[in-house]
Amino acid sequence: MTIDNIIQWFQSWFPVNVMVLFITSVLIAAVVIFAIMAVNALVAVYAERKISAFMQDRVGPMGQGPGLHAGKWGLLQTIADTIKLILKEDIIPKAADKKLFIIAPFIIFLGAFIALAAMPFGPYLIASDMNIGIFYILAVSSFGVIGIILAAWSSDNKWSLYGGMRSAAQIISYEIPAALSLVSVLLLTSTLSMQGIIQSQAGTVWGFLPNWNIFNNPFSFLAFFIYFIAGVAETNRTPFDIPEAESELVAGFHTEYSGMRWAFFFLSEYGNMLVVCGLTVVAFLGGWQSPIAGVMEGAWWGLFWFLTKLTATIFIMIWFRWTFPRLRVDQLMNVAWKILLPIALFNLFGVAIWTLLVG
Amino acid sequence: MKNYFQNIWQSITTLLIGLGITIKHMFKARKGNVTLQYPEEKWPRPERNIGFDPKNYNIIRSKLHVDIDDCIGCRKCERACPVGCIKIDALKVPKETDLGLTSSGTTKRLLISRFDIDMTECMFCNLCTYPCPEDCIFMTGGPNSEKQPLDYEYSQYDRSRLIFKFANVTKNDIRRITTAPPVQQEIL
Amino acid sequence: MGLVHAEEMTLNIGPQHPSTHGVLRLKVKTDGEIISEITPVIGYLHRCFEKHCENLSYEQVIPFTDRCDYIAAMNNSFGYVLAVEKLMDIQVPERVEYIRVIMAEYNRIASHLLALGTFGLDVGAYTPFLYMFRDRERILDLFEITCGARLLYNYMWVGGVSHDLPLGFMEASYRFLDEFEKNINEYHNILSYNKIFIERSADVGIMPKDVAIDYGVTGPNLRGSGVKWDLRKDEPYSIYNRFKFDVPVGTGIMGSVGDCWDRYWVRAEEMQESIKIIRQALDKIPREGNVHEALPKKVRPPKGSIYFRTESPRGDLGYYIISDGTPTPLRVKMRSPAFTALSALSEIATGWMLSDVLVILGSLDIVLGEIDR
Repeated sequence: MTIDNIIQWFQSWFPVNVMVLFITSVLIAAVVIFAIMAVNALVAVYAERKISAFMQDRVGPMGQGPGLHAGKWGLLQTIADTIKLILKEDIIPKAADKKLFIIAPFIIFLGAFIALAAMPFGPYLIASDMNIGIFYILAVSSFGVIGIILAAWSSDNKWSLYGGMRSAAQIISYEIPAALSLVSVLLLTSTLSMQGIIQSQAGTVWGFLPNWNIFNNPFSFLAFFIYFIAGVAETNRTPFDIPEAESELVAGFHTEYSGMRWAFFFLSEYGNMLVVCGLTVVAFLGGWQSPIAGVMEGAWWGLFWFLTKLTATIFIMIWFRWTFPRLRVDQLMNVAWKILLPIALFNLFGVAIWTLLVG
Repeated sequence: MKNYFQNIWQSITTLLIGLGITIKHMFKARKGNVTLQYPEEKWPRPERNIGFDPKNYNIIRSKLHVDIDDCIGCRKCERACPVGCIKIDALKVPKETDLGLTSSGTTKRLLISRFDIDMTECMFCNLCTYPCPEDCIFMTGGPNSEKQPLDYEYSQYDRSRLIFKFANVTKNDIRRITTAPPVQQEIL
Repeated sequence: MGLVHAEEMTLNIGPQHPSTHGVLRLKVKTDGEIISEITPVIGYLHRCFEKHCENLSYEQVIPFTDRCDYIAAMNNSFGYVLAVEKLMDIQVPERVEYIRVIMAEYNRIASHLLALGTFGLDVGAYTPFLYMFRDRERILDLFEITCGARLLYNYMWVGGVSHDLPLGFMEASYRFLDEFEKNINEYHNILSYNKIFIERSADVGIMPKDVAIDYGVTGPNLRGSGVKWDLRKDEPYSIYNRFKFDVPVGTGIMGSVGDCWDRYWVRAEEMQESIKIIRQALDKIPREGNVHEALPKKVRPPKGSIYFRTESPRGDLGYYIISDGTPTPLRVKMRSPAFTALSALSEIATGWMLSDVLVILGSLDIVLGEIDR
């Protein structure tokens, strides 16, 4: 359901001013996207806590939920957390730059929020299928770093400042390998539209594998890993979580935040995960395409496949987080500039040759 | 150049090994689990994964308890306490006054008018329980577990409620017993 | 560019900080990420241990020695008890000697597990920490069935131990050791050989041999620098001369000798050696015996003084006791190994990055309770 569809549908029933229709349908889309982000955060936080617990031989949250204490799995844990965060006191430090301090979490949130507008959740489920979709997502998803720097600077806290500086350097560096590996996908699909990229991945390749970009040729296979690693770095998660490195910077850029503002940082972290994983799924794993060509296709199956792939990639991110130690700042830069970037460039070249020779 | 690729290869293999370990743990999370779900599951439970029976415990360090009927007021525990959380007042009584016997048959000669243990100060070193000649001060659940139910849970809302007063004599008792005929007082 | 005014930033790490391992404050001068000066500020956990001792009888000091190095309480009271026994010239029964060694080595494993785990935590690896904590938990279970306490035991007494080994201790011990040996390999796979971990710790915070000796650093930190010095081997106390074990030293496998990884590795290897000692002790321990046999009626050492040192998990732990013939010591001085290790911090950590400083601090394995006393 793109916004254009909604406008047309409305217009056929209530022929009113186009501007009014436009605003209503954008609002509808916004509410839906916000709901997706909120639900994602609720589920992902719970999943992260449970998965980390199981990986560490613990039991994880058990308190809240049906069956209550030590009954069943603490299913309502994140809802309880949310209520707690809403009720908490919102502290603004005296020395903080108040305006920036207040606005920063929302800017970060905005980065993830507007990026989701071009995310195709199914064959028809997309807020806006623009013809530069992937470019748009790349552009706006790095918007969040401005929020991080603002939060870090306005808190007037040395730890926050460290976190902000690190984050800026990190996200800017990792944009490059990420973008380069996406460009190698674009060479294969020759379109920038998100739906177009997915549609070009229909069918099979090598006889039995789905024609996803990851299986298309060895170079794009490598590009997938480069993009995914760079994506993990862009979302500031372990092993690249140096902006908030708990054991070094206390809490990094959000040291001084509390209550609902802090929750927005959390929401946007998981929102960013959604964007990065969504982009991975679209660009490399065939979006809403079924893994077996021609079987279980359709609008709802598309949504199902997309969500399944999304869950799998998010799980891998969580898995990374609870296994790896953290890199140091200079090592992080080394990985980006000395390892990922050359390989990504080489890949781009390889994919170009491949498309020239094979397809 | 060789080093460069060797490094990358090493990183990939070692990181994959790590991922393998965590996922293995994830799928058998229940097995290696040592978490105790406190209010539901309580500590001495035999099936804990080492497989100990609470019977095999040498001692359990918990709340101090005094069988005040057995106390002879020797103050050995008070002296043994490194932090001074035991406070005893023992009054001399006229020789003829019969205070009864302890369970091991010793004649009691002193009237315990105060036996307070401040558990907020106690550091659970267990030093007070050894010198006691009558075995009347002990940690609940310890060697005298049959005398007292095992109880770890003695959190209180008020600090003063953690000062346990064991002496069971009233002021009247004290007055009645200690104010004996003057003649006997002189003998003492 | 003349307008740009660059200056160093003073950063306060601690006393409340996730990875200062207690209430330590580090005053650091930073130039961006690089640390140019470090001043450790200690004393936040000072509890007058030595003054306390002057007012307590000899037995009553033991619970306070536990509270100095609360991670390895058994080893701490072991040293104190041996010092007093030597002053009083007490021979303890065989069984007691073995029990003490078993307990001390168990506590060494527990302490090293915590050290390695928190070191992993400083590097950012969360999961190995909890695996190690789980195994430490099992050792604490063994302590609990023995003496009822899990952290502060008051188990070693002058002339004996407070309780004999409980029923089923041997079987539980063997079972634990078998499982634990397997787990050590897992720790190596998830943490020690992890490339990121090696990158973070190898070649970082190198403590050369001469620096370590100059500062009086002892224990695993000294051995990490390649000096083969272990009091259990070089000045055997108690019955350590009866056991066969090696003294692991840092060899710089991953980087250079004396880096953080070496210190980490020495601790990991020492756990293996401790397992060896415990196995031998469990095999040789006399099955019968009264652990309270040699308890003196009254602990009242003759006039005199003694300095006695033992190998605690953190290094040479020394007790200097002056007795004036009364039941209370005139003076008890404790030589804390963690204190000397911390004093070397500013020498070895200057010039590294902020993240490295915390890793180096973690690799020194300090316990603030022992430093401040």
